[in-house]
Amino acid sequence: MNSTAATAQMHAEVLVIGSGAGGATTAAVLAQAGFDVLIVEEGEWIEQGSVVPFSLQQMDFQYRAGGVTVALGLPSIAYTEGRCAGGGTEINSGLYRRPPEDLLQRWATDFCINDLRPEEVMSIANEVEQVISVSLVPGPPSAPSDVLRRGAERLGWQNSEIPRWMKYASGDASSGQRQSMTRTYLPQAASHGARLVTGCRIDQLQMADGKATRATTTLGDGRHGTIDFRHVFVCGGAIQSPALLQRSRIAGYIGRSLAVHPTVKLTARFADELNVPGDVPVHQVKEFAPDLSFGGSASQPGLVALALSDQWRTFSRAITDWRRMSIYYAAITSEGRGRVRAVRGLRDPIVTYALTRRDRALLGSGLSRLALLMLEAGADEVYPSFRGAPVVRNRRDLATMQSTFSAAKASVMTVHLCSTVPMGEDTRRCGANSFGRVHDTTNVWVNDASLLPTAPGVNPQGTVMALAIRNARRFAATERPRG
Amino acid sequence: MPSASRLRRLDTIVGPFADLLLTADLPQLPDARRAEVVEFVQRRANGVPSFTRFGLTVIALLYRGVMAAPGGRLVARFLASKSIPLLGEYPRLIRSLGYAYVWDRWPDTLPTGAAS
Amino acid sequence: MGEQFASPAVTVVTGATGWLGQALVHRLLADPSRRRLRLLAQSTSEGRRLESLGNVEVVIGDITKPDTAARLLYGIGADVDVIHTVGIIHPKRTRQFLEINVNGTRNVAEAALDHGVRRLVHVSSNSPFGTNAQTSDSFRATEPYHPYLNYGWSKMEGELAVLDAVTHGLDATIVRPPWFYGPFQPPRQTTFFRLVRAGKFPVVGDGEQRRSMVYIDNLVDGLIAAELTPAAKGRCYWVADARAYTVNEIVATVGRALHDEGFTVKEPSARLPALAGRVAELGDRVVQRLGRCQQQLHVLGEMNHTIACDISATCSELGYEPRVELYEGMRSSIRWCVEQGLEL
Repeated sequence: MNSTAATAQMHAEVLVIGSGAGGATTAAVLAQAGFDVLIVEEGEWIEQGSVVPFSLQQMDFQYRAGGVTVALGLPSIAYTEGRCAGGGTEINSGLYRRPPEDLLQRWATDFCINDLRPEEVMSIANEVEQVISVSLVPGPPSAPSDVLRRGAERLGWQNSEIPRWMKYASGDASSGQRQSMTRTYLPQAASHGARLVTGCRIDQLQMADGKATRATTTLGDGRHGTIDFRHVFVCGGAIQSPALLQRSRIAGYIGRSLAVHPTVKLTARFADELNVPGDVPVHQVKEFAPDLSFGGSASQPGLVALALSDQWRTFSRAITDWRRMSIYYAAITSEGRGRVRAVRGLRDPIVTYALTRRDRALLGSGLSRLALLMLEAGADEVYPSFRGAPVVRNRRDLATMQSTFSAAKASVMTVHLCSTVPMGEDTRRCGANSFGRVHDTTNVWVNDASLLPTAPGVNPQGTVMALAIRNARRFAATERPRG
Repeated sequence: MPSASRLRRLDTIVGPFADLLLTADLPQLPDARRAEVVEFVQRRANGVPSFTRFGLTVIALLYRGVMAAPGGRLVARFLASKSIPLLGEYPRLIRSLGYAYVWDRWPDTLPTGAAS
Repeated sequence: MGEQFASPAVTVVTGATGWLGQALVHRLLADPSRRRLRLLAQSTSEGRRLESLGNVEVVIGDITKPDTAARLLYGIGADVDVIHTVGIIHPKRTRQFLEINVNGTRNVAEAALDHGVRRLVHVSSNSPFGTNAQTSDSFRATEPYHPYLNYGWSKMEGELAVLDAVTHGLDATIVRPPWFYGPFQPPRQTTFFRLVRAGKFPVVGDGEQRRSMVYIDNLVDGLIAAELTPAAKGRCYWVADARAYTVNEIVATVGRALHDEGFTVKEPSARLPALAGRVAELGDRVVQRLGRCQQQLHVLGEMNHTIACDISATCSELGYEPRVELYEGMRSSIRWCVEQGLEL
């Protein structure tokens, strides 16, 4: 698929803003149904393989603000957003989890979502899994991944390999080719006539009586332009989607309930070399799910240095050993909430997040349990990522570690952002209706991670895609293409 | 309140501070490499979202003020070695960007900054 | 679970006059396969009381003195199991935690290693692991240490002393009971019944925090299973009732048990905000920092938290099956108090 350059005046029957897991699937469904679809992406089209995965260079090209984005709070929580054709699907770990069925049920009840039928969502998930080639690693897991399996087995903790949307050229775990949106749903959309424009930011939707008619844009060269449309799907992710709605003065429950999976990290050093720079572990430990999950992170030497930087004075000596080291995370489902606020005159929204007392305790015990797992898996030394952290070598050190931990001293980060425009008929806590149409508007839809009523406790991309396709199909069934 | 022109020139305020921190933390990092790292940190600082940028500018100006006073470089280094709420986020950000760049670009750098 | 050891030629029990110790000794005395019982008593008067129970040998000594444990094991062969129940939970001074729970345990472990006993069973606690981060969490068989104040720290060091001896060749198993209840209870538990009767037991917060508890006879079952399971060497086990109870459920069940034993029980009225629990916990920390212990503060501070453990590994590896649940256990506990002539 080729992207075309943006022009000052554009129009489309359906404007899709954003080309990630939500936007790409929406565009594919609507184009196939015969709508004239224009996808507008703020970032650029970066061909897979042209940048090193999980590198600083990739952050320059494919992340918003080079990856330096933060939800303010005590502690502040660093987060990342994809900003390129394909959005987050180009840069995430590629791990696929089905939407949890009991969670769908709970969402339907708690948020009054009409017609959210788990069997329908599961059948869509089946289709998605075919399109993006969800599969297990054909050979043995990588050494950093095996650490999680080994440690969990010794402790009797549930663990499993999480499948990824990858095609493997050979039997090697590192030969995977990610089946991101630029490889799957975006070309599919194009084959049905959808157009993709990159390097174009949507500043605002012009509203009249709950109806959006025109979007104002900023192009790559700084010029401004407009796009006229009949319907608009906002799929910019859980930060950008609510921010755009707020800039467009759309009222309602928007941007008030940001949900994330707060995550703390540690680095473990082993006797043998195990670092795999270009890949992430595929095993997750789910013994304490959904409240608490453990997994592995990208562990390039630069990221190892970053992970050691909180306690550099005592940890720095380890950096020369990065080939024997790998980074792991403990993620929690948070009871805290965040906010996204667009402020007039500021280009980017203000994002805040407040952890609860229970969240903080859970992060501490999670990091400690993860460190225990590392010791069981044979780690010689464990370096937790918080200021004042001790080097953990044995069981007694774990006691010291947990007594010195506080969330405020930790490098807390997150990648799974959602729930800023929750879907459902309960307008006191939902920004969009049961199918993603923004309440009190007639033609503005949200169709991305913003719709998830709560953080799902699993990698959310599968859930985002399945719900986006469900909603797009419902739209196609009720609105006729002008043709 | 930082003026609009200063907001646009965040990189030039951040640069000397990043240089100071890296000189202190990684004393044996070759000059040419340090210059490259500082340039990277400046570029990233320039790209941060609006509100963070505002806060960063305020703190960066504060540190620049400290550094300009007699003996100020020592004071700035001392402050940066403590984890002060809010103020401490700035050196933390600069460090994390700087170290990540050093070891991403030259993975076998020693903890002193020396090329192995 | 594989084969079981037969009862040893000699069973040695420390802390035989304690709550758990008495229950254990009564069980062992009733078992004809236990040929010899040797018990440690702190004083001659305690010793006489133990001797009146039946055919037992008594050694008088102080476990905090290094030679006591060696004397306790003197002159018996290698077919010996030691069940170490000595521990202090509510001392006057915090240094007693170190002397009894740490040094005392180290003395026993070292003597057992030197002697070459068949198995040492060490009674630990939930306190080395602190409290659960949230209500729905349960401690698994293996958890990172996160000791709750000085008691927790001392029980952790006690465990580490035993595990250290295991790396030097000792055959030992650690049993971790949470809050226990049942006959032979000390006076502080009588207070608990009185408070519930008067409707004044302080429920902190919403009372939905969960607590694992263990009926004393269930605990004795677990101790003996840990003693007699060969594969349990070097392992640690939670021994508790089948499930954790919410504080609300505990108060209601105890009230019901009291009522069914013929006592009048007032409606529970004492509710404290969660903040009170946090203040008590803070107070407890300050007092302990000063080297002292205040029992009420300690209990109230801990009452705010969930302390729940998962016994599935204990069941599958030791064949442990908790036979008594809260209501039944509390009734027998109340009957025991009445038999002792205690005022409830």
